[in-house]
Amino acid sequence: MERNVCIIGGGMSHWGVRQASARDMFQEAGKACFNDIPGLSNKDVDGLIVASAFTERSCFQTHLAPLVAEYLGIKPKNICARVELLCASGSSGIILAYGLIKSGIADVVMITGGEKLFTPQKWEVFYSELGTGDHDWDGSQGLGLPPPFFSMVAQRHMKLYGTTEEQLAMVSVKNRRNGLNNPKGQFQKAITLEEALNAKHVVAPLKLFDCCPVTDGASAVILACEEKAKEYTDKPLVYIKGVGQATVNNMSANMPSMTTWEALKIAGNQAYSKAGVKPSDIDVAQTHDCFTISEIIESEDLGFCEKGEGGLFVQEGRSDYGGDVAINTDGGLLSCGHPFGGTGIRQGIEIMKQLRGDAARQVEGARTGLTHNLSGLSAAHTVLVYGRDI
Amino acid sequence: MEGISILNGKYAVSMDMYPLQDKNYNMVYKFYDNLKEGRFTTTKCTDCGARSFPPRIICPECLSENMEWVDLPSEGTVLVVAEQEAGVPLGFQAPLIHAHVDLGGELTYLGRVQNCKAGELKEGDKVKLVVIPIEPVPADGKKGAVIQHERVFFVFEKVK
Repeated sequence: MERNVCIIGGGMSHWGVRQASARDMFQEAGKACFNDIPGLSNKDVDGLIVASAFTERSCFQTHLAPLVAEYLGIKPKNICARVELLCASGSSGIILAYGLIKSGIADVVMITGGEKLFTPQKWEVFYSELGTGDHDWDGSQGLGLPPPFFSMVAQRHMKLYGTTEEQLAMVSVKNRRNGLNNPKGQFQKAITLEEALNAKHVVAPLKLFDCCPVTDGASAVILACEEKAKEYTDKPLVYIKGVGQATVNNMSANMPSMTTWEALKIAGNQAYSKAGVKPSDIDVAQTHDCFTISEIIESEDLGFCEKGEGGLFVQEGRSDYGGDVAINTDGGLLSCGHPFGGTGIRQGIEIMKQLRGDAARQVEGARTGLTHNLSGLSAAHTVLVYGRDI
Repeated sequence: MEGISILNGKYAVSMDMYPLQDKNYNMVYKFYDNLKEGRFTTTKCTDCGARSFPPRIICPECLSENMEWVDLPSEGTVLVVAEQEAGVPLGFQAPLIHAHVDLGGELTYLGRVQNCKAGELKEGDKVKLVVIPIEPVPADGKKGAVIQHERVFFVFEKVK
């Protein structure tokens, strides 16, 4: 019989330019997660999934999950493995743990994800990015670092739908302001619209604050079957209600559209239908704002607004506190930063807190939440719906 | 003293931004052989007719192994341009120009445009594919010999 699955706790290391190794940060994230669940000990965890994309490239470390288990004092008996889907590695780990618990293979699983991206020489991480698309066909064209691709996406969206540079900047102003809610994020500084619009170009029309930074960091959550969740925590239970993960192309030659993300629509529809909810039921969402244009397209293709109206959606405050759906309430990638494997887990932590009612800045009465990751050159999309009601 | 100097002069495939093209390392080496002759090609399934890019050994539509090599257009039209002036990856010069190019309605992809100044390339411009030499791969031969596997790659240039 299928079981209900709850997210019962989470925590993260400080994110940013860290004087710390990956294993240091996995320890910090694990400790912060255990601190969130006083009734549970590391000995109660029966499965561990570690999400990390660049572990071999920036740490020279394969076979990562047993290493993290050893450092966190976890002795898994049902699963102990790493999962990789670049920027969506973390939410992939949550989906896999959800399936294992739902089906009865495991009861209490930690998912921890993170990256050490700042290495002694700056060129290395940028060079390694050439392997993140299709290395032989896109990477060899100098595509890997995402700004050129997302610049084209922004230009096309602006031309097709009239989206403006001001609307792009409004996403970063909102998310930098929301970032003040997460003391462990990379940035703790709000910006003005003028600062965003006057910042130097990265790849026009994208400017400095339109792009998420390079980040060191880790995060961790624990999922449990409902029965164990009730045993280990007195906090309100938050369920995973539905999930979807889709890809329709990898190499740029096979991309159906630059401005409508088909894989996102598929993943979103899967998650909504399994959860039995509609886009209008979502009270709070963490979407993958690797660039400001990304959040604008995501609010369209997740069904929060009509196609082409993503710019207006942020301009009219509909994605802010008090709007239709508060998006990136802890600052998103633009403010918290983006240690690839850590991001989907950070998103899950914020949604869990919002639905429990103990977020730093609360969306009043939130009962249903959503997380979304994109990965590669928008080549795969991952959506999870969480809720207080199952 | 011991350390990373052991790597001096070594080739590591994990640090090579270009593909291994020699027939010892892949089964679509004919793409690169054709490219050396100035032909931009890909595979087409002789059973279902589906044409794939990148080239394949098995048709992703019908899973047939019966593939033939066909020529693709080598001139195209620019749909959108991205110009990167700062922070380009090691191995590329600024400005790093990319374009989403439509090759005669048969194929679109994101390609690098060489010998192009910032501001020079616009939507609607014509570009053509050119073949450029790439450093060879030094592979282990017999009895300590080093075999150099020659390589080429393809980039766009603006048609002036």
